[in-house]
Amino acid sequence: MFPVRLARPRQHWALAATSAVAAVALLAGCSASTGSTKSQSGSKDTINYALPANFTPNWILPIGTAAHLNTNNGSIARTLWEPLVAFNGSQGSIAWNKKGSLATAADFAPDGKSVTITLGKRTWSDGKPITSRDVEFWFNLIKANKAQWGNYNEGKAPDNWTTLVATDATHLTITFDRAYNNDWMLANELSLIHPLPQHVWDKTSDSGVVGNDDKTPAGAVKVWNYLNTAAKSLGDYSTNPLWKTISGPYLLSSFSTSGKVVLVANTKYDGGEKAKIKTVNLLPYTSTSAEENAVRSGAVDYGYITATNLDQAKSFTSQGYTVKPWTGWAITYMPYNFNNPTMGAVFKQLYARQAVQMSIDQTSLSKVIFNGTAVPGYGPIPQAQKSDFLSSAQKNNPYPYSTSKAAALLMSHGWTSQSGVMVCTSPGPSSSQCGVGVASGTKFAMSVLSQSGSTVTDNMMSAIQSSLSKAGISFSIKTAPVNSVLSQTPPCTASEAICKWQLSFFGTAGSWYFSAFPTGDSLFMTKGGANFGSYSNKDVDAVIKESTTSSGNTAIQSYSAKLAADLPVIWLPSPDYQISVVKSGLTGFSQDSLADFHPAEWSWAK
Amino acid sequence: MTTSLYLLRRLLQAVAVIFIVTVVVFGLLHSLPGGPARGILGAQATAQQIEQFNSEQGLTKPLYVQYFLYLGHLLHGDLGISYTYNESITQLIVERLPKTLVLTILQAVIALVIAIPLGMWQAAKRNHPVDYIATTVSFVAYSAPVFFLGLVLIIVFSQTIPLFPSQAPNGATLASVFANPAALVLPIATGAASMIAVFSRYMRSSTLENLSEDYVRTARAGGGSGGQILRRHVFRNSLTPVVAMLGYYVPVLFGGALVIEQLFNYPGMGLLFWNAAQSSDFPVLLGCVLVISVATVVGTLIADILQSVIDPRVKAGRT
Repeated sequence: MFPVRLARPRQHWALAATSAVAAVALLAGCSASTGSTKSQSGSKDTINYALPANFTPNWILPIGTAAHLNTNNGSIARTLWEPLVAFNGSQGSIAWNKKGSLATAADFAPDGKSVTITLGKRTWSDGKPITSRDVEFWFNLIKANKAQWGNYNEGKAPDNWTTLVATDATHLTITFDRAYNNDWMLANELSLIHPLPQHVWDKTSDSGVVGNDDKTPAGAVKVWNYLNTAAKSLGDYSTNPLWKTISGPYLLSSFSTSGKVVLVANTKYDGGEKAKIKTVNLLPYTSTSAEENAVRSGAVDYGYITATNLDQAKSFTSQGYTVKPWTGWAITYMPYNFNNPTMGAVFKQLYARQAVQMSIDQTSLSKVIFNGTAVPGYGPIPQAQKSDFLSSAQKNNPYPYSTSKAAALLMSHGWTSQSGVMVCTSPGPSSSQCGVGVASGTKFAMSVLSQSGSTVTDNMMSAIQSSLSKAGISFSIKTAPVNSVLSQTPPCTASEAICKWQLSFFGTAGSWYFSAFPTGDSLFMTKGGANFGSYSNKDVDAVIKESTTSSGNTAIQSYSAKLAADLPVIWLPSPDYQISVVKSGLTGFSQDSLADFHPAEWSWAK
Repeated sequence: MTTSLYLLRRLLQAVAVIFIVTVVVFGLLHSLPGGPARGILGAQATAQQIEQFNSEQGLTKPLYVQYFLYLGHLLHGDLGISYTYNESITQLIVERLPKTLVLTILQAVIALVIAIPLGMWQAAKRNHPVDYIATTVSFVAYSAPVFFLGLVLIIVFSQTIPLFPSQAPNGATLASVFANPAALVLPIATGAASMIAVFSRYMRSSTLENLSEDYVRTARAGGGSGGQILRRHVFRNSLTPVVAMLGYYVPVLFGGALVIEQLFNYPGMGLLFWNAAQSSDFPVLLGCVLVISVATVVGTLIADILQSVIDPRVKAGRT
């Protein structure tokens, strides 16, 4: 190749380079003038709240299917339509927040078989009074469409409500099919009721006339379908007149399908939780990194950081943020698959589960892996908050960490360590043998399908693997997105192909968030909907039932103690719901451990 | 073969390719164990709710029936409803595709505007210190992971020297994307960097190859200056492999868009695809695969056509 000598090259290259620079400069445009890296709120009338990463709001109707009624959609809906009974943690502890409720009293009959509810003298945003007819409207819709309703559990509301009678405009009585624990009924069932504007919504089409369609089951189905179809038009949320008649402290100003929701104060609101900040921007984020970048640039007033970034807390506090861990009313665990054809028989042995639990060092996991943002949990009642539901047995950790004791326990039951892994060498049903169904030569080797995408979870699994190995228990880890984990680890029978899973973990942000009264009917009752591992214990079934039907907390404390001892799952530390970063000056609220947010309680210090 | 016949043949091939892609992806998705219901409805879903979801979504029907139903809807322009977004897939794609296209097209244009002259300049200055410097920078830009490069740009140009926002425009419409052009600088720069590296290397080697051709020697003998030869003769011939590469780069652009969209809070197609895969949102996954397949097929087709415009020998080769 011969060398090429360029005659007048510079002008051309310069021209090309100038074009490129010009293009970039064009894009840069008004960067200097927008100053958009500064906090976008900056005003006492506005707040920018970061929604959880990867969450796009997609529903505002307070009734709907399970796919729609998730926590954050619910929080938005509750700012627009106040619940009858707001039972939440917005006041610092989980209780009935009457200021944010449409009901002012719930008087239970002495026999516990009915409740009379008194409504406050409140009005809809169009000036019409909120009456017991609006509660009845909700009830009729739910009763006729219970299978579609996301909060429905067979045998629970509305199945266990035999009648709802409106005695006058502000009083109604609900009768139950039997006596129930008043606290449970109030916290877990009556709190589901959302009075809806019957005088606007009781129709079957846009052009239809408002009537009493809900009073027949067929009509109620049509009304439900009409409302749910209307709620599927996300683009119309801020313009559809249906959604303008509200009872909550905020009105929807805009709802972008890309996820940004703007709420403005409802000037007609006459309840106890009047909005203190005029405009609330709920901002969507594609990832935690994107959200953290936004926090660092000041674009978010109320956001979050990951546990792994907690050691950088100073960089946030120096920017005027306060770091506030937000604990959840939740427990975290790994279900055993008791029907697994290989390991099910081992998991059914209490001593084996005890050995596993003794090999989990929850204190160290909470401190080291979670950076202090998790709380050890030893049973079915959340332990991050004080509560009357917690038994002393659970609180005191019945199986303290000791891998040597775990190994000794296994060896005392016919297991022998071979190449570092315990092997059953003494099969049989006696107390010094491996137990019923555990064959000779069975290795104590378990595998978990764990939620992917979290460094903290990966680290926790590695730490558990390490500590289990000290007790001679082999533990292999596979990962998948959380939805895949849930899909691949359902309740199953041994003969089903999908029953090959042994342990499942989907609790990076906590495995299970409870309603205010933490009963375990779905989780640990025989054939419970979320009893993934098919755990079954008649005593536990009885005590779970008793906890919802007997008065007082004795039964639920007994449930707490029994499951702390019986280990239906591997109990793990429960991480904080969120590590919030809050702009200094944003005050007047507590972070609700039920994981709801309550914009009406936020205010800027003067 | 005439151009129209050639185009028709390619079009039919494209339809066949897309059909095969949908069959394979549909089959693979539905062979995943457990189905999507539990993941979509969450841990607290009851057995009845799961049953109802499966029934509503037609997931209880035999697989081939599901596929033909899907195909039937597809032919009517109906891609279905997303399990997780509560929106029609068509609407989601209409909202998100333009955003990704804006990102990828601007990124590609800027990258090419820089990479082509840079590659030619490097070829002209072969083994000169500036060539070594440019080569080193290219290798660094090419080997740096996109997310890392993006984070560095955010830290430097958004947090340390607050010149540009750390987030891309977040509105639902295309107009809102252009409302704050400054917000596009960092995402585009992140995506363009590796593309500049790749295409400048291609252009450099292609130019070097052409510079050793007889026609360059002849032009030189005819008295043409180096610059004239590069501009009038070498430039066009050197573009052929770059144009071909551009067509095949379409899926890479979509892949790169995912990381950029995630990092800069820009909800486009890449992120839609990723989230759908994470959440077992089968209809969205299928919709995205369809769009990416079409984009790839169209991209390669356009590249082929451009190649034949640039280099008549390519056109002659088809006849």
